[in-house]
Amino acid sequence: MSAHNIEIALAVAAVALLGLDAFVPTLKRDIIPKLSIGLVGLALLAMFFAKGDTPAYLASYYRIDSIAMFYKVFALVATLAALIIAREADPVIAHFTGTEGPSTRIAEFYILPLIVCVGLMWMASAQDLISVFVPLELVTVTFYVLVAFARRSAVSLEAGVKYLILGALSTGILVYGIAWIYGATGSMTFAGIAKAVGAASTSKSALIVGAALLLAGLGFKVAAAPFHVWVPDVYQGAPTPVTAFLSVGSKAGAFIVLTRAVQALTATGSQISGEVQTTLLWSGVITILFGSLAAITQTQIKRLLGYSSISHAGFILLALAAGDSARFGISSEGVVAFYLATYLPMTMLGFLLLAVLRSQGVAEELSQLQGLSKRSPGMAFALAVAFASLAGLPLTAGFIGKMLVFLAAVDKGWYGAVGLAVVGAAAGFYYYFRPILAAYSAGKPEDTALRWSLPAKATAAVLVLAIVTLGVYPKALQSALKQNIVLTSAGK
Amino acid sequence: MPAPLFYLLAFITLGFGLLVVLARNPVASALSLVMCFSGLAALFVTLDAYLIGTIQVLVYAGAVMVLFLFIIMLLDIKEEEKKGQRLTAVVGGMILAAVLTLQLTSMAGSFPLAKTKLDDKPLDISAASTAAKDKNHPLHSMQMIRKDLDAGKLPDTALMGQTLFDQYPLHLQMMGLLLLVGTVGVVVLSRRDTAKEESKGA
Repeated sequence: MSAHNIEIALAVAAVALLGLDAFVPTLKRDIIPKLSIGLVGLALLAMFFAKGDTPAYLASYYRIDSIAMFYKVFALVATLAALIIAREADPVIAHFTGTEGPSTRIAEFYILPLIVCVGLMWMASAQDLISVFVPLELVTVTFYVLVAFARRSAVSLEAGVKYLILGALSTGILVYGIAWIYGATGSMTFAGIAKAVGAASTSKSALIVGAALLLAGLGFKVAAAPFHVWVPDVYQGAPTPVTAFLSVGSKAGAFIVLTRAVQALTATGSQISGEVQTTLLWSGVITILFGSLAAITQTQIKRLLGYSSISHAGFILLALAAGDSARFGISSEGVVAFYLATYLPMTMLGFLLLAVLRSQGVAEELSQLQGLSKRSPGMAFALAVAFASLAGLPLTAGFIGKMLVFLAAVDKGWYGAVGLAVVGAAAGFYYYFRPILAAYSAGKPEDTALRWSLPAKATAAVLVLAIVTLGVYPKALQSALKQNIVLTSAGK
Repeated sequence: MPAPLFYLLAFITLGFGLLVVLARNPVASALSLVMCFSGLAALFVTLDAYLIGTIQVLVYAGAVMVLFLFIIMLLDIKEEEKKGQRLTAVVGGMILAAVLTLQLTSMAGSFPLAKTKLDDKPLDISAASTAAKDKNHPLHSMQMIRKDLDAGKLPDTALMGQTLFDQYPLHLQMMGLLLLVGTVGVVVLSRRDTAKEESKGA
């Protein structure tokens, strides 16, 4: 089975589940969530046995290389985690959709993530701008629905409207950029663009306009400054599983596109590689600073994680700007992929804990965390690991990710940018440790013990293990990401 | 294309475009937008892009605008008429428009394609017809397209369809999935509260 068949099968499965929900009214409430989780797990398992051959009819716009394989697995893992978080948040979602009764269902909440996953998996292989745009829209439109899903909650609806309007605007900008790039280079494929950016006959000014609009459009999706304003409100308002999925899945999808686009635009001999690099560099630095400094005053944890997501996007942009570093033997796409791989477990763990706490009546406020270590030592420990890793404490995954970014930037001699990024990282230590301090401070005497379900416990254990493993022994993943290999039928 | 026709159509497009922003009544704004789209469609037709012109009328002036009007009338928006324009919004919009105009005009000078007139480069259909005779040409087996090309006509609809179904079949399927998600989203977000219904029934 080739990798592209898995995503097609997943799309068919999602449609089948929608049909099952619509035509079998007697179905039990938890059947579709279980089926959905099972299907994603099955797809993930199938990925490890998948072959990398691309059929000829797809070859003009679709390629399966090792980076694409990484992002496909990444999308599946993120979807699986988001679905597990959704199961934990089920009572809260039911409350806000008016589906508390046992005879009611919220099946769409578990089926739409599968469609997002299909879009993300396809995006990972897309080789031309149309093939990028269609799945990007598929993902974004599905997220419009998911963000506003808790429709009895005013903040969820507000977040949905904000995301819809700004998302539509960013789509418009992106398409305008694609049109300019096509006009300037005469090509839609990344390979064609890479060839044309170096040609003397290509208009440089038109290329710059196209690249600027393209970067702005994608900047919206990854939450890069100055296009980050939607993030805190949308992250706070959206249901917790959706926020988790949005901050990990949607961001990774946009970053693989950004990686490929930047590679094409800064190909050898490109007229605009300097401009693109400078834009990415300063956008990255401003994003880190804004995300970190604005997070300091936050007391709402989901909002805090929103700002954290902005600042992490800044670090990844910095890695993209720095490009390959021969001295340290790291490639730009490898650092981006590795950083996202460290970002997934820590962010998902944070949101999983929020969902578990919320379902037991603990609101997402810093002050509510007080006494958590007494109420549930396990949760407090997992929370400490997640936030310590987000801050970049040594021996956690977050540290290695940040270190690789700094190495790449130092190799380029960008000491000013590195200095500012360090300021952002240092601020991170302050605001990421506030939830940990709160969790380990004394609580009120009337606090009762908190319990969490077995799936949540198991998932948290796996995520903690992933964070520590990547932090102590990052070699395993790094060597896999060192080179981008185009897979053939013999591969994998 | 004769120059006076271009200027007339451009004037219609821009004039009504300006009215969209200036008109105080939302319905008048929306109807001006219809005229603006129609002018744009006519411009496409004068550039030999018949299908795009038709789609512009069908989709934008037709479907999208009807949706706009529906919403305006459903919500019964009247407040806009009373409210004055905010200065920051006006200035911000003007600056944005000025920057875009500056960018486009500066671009037009350096963009090589902008220097060639359309009349200098007429559509060469006979060349396309000869090229399609080659066995390896993607259009070789397309009988309908080749017949039109041989007759000196531009089969733009057929060419567009050929590109869409031949080169981007997977994208087309994905768009179907996208529309399904849109439909599901509307159903989910506008569904009546089942819990409330049940309690009412009991």
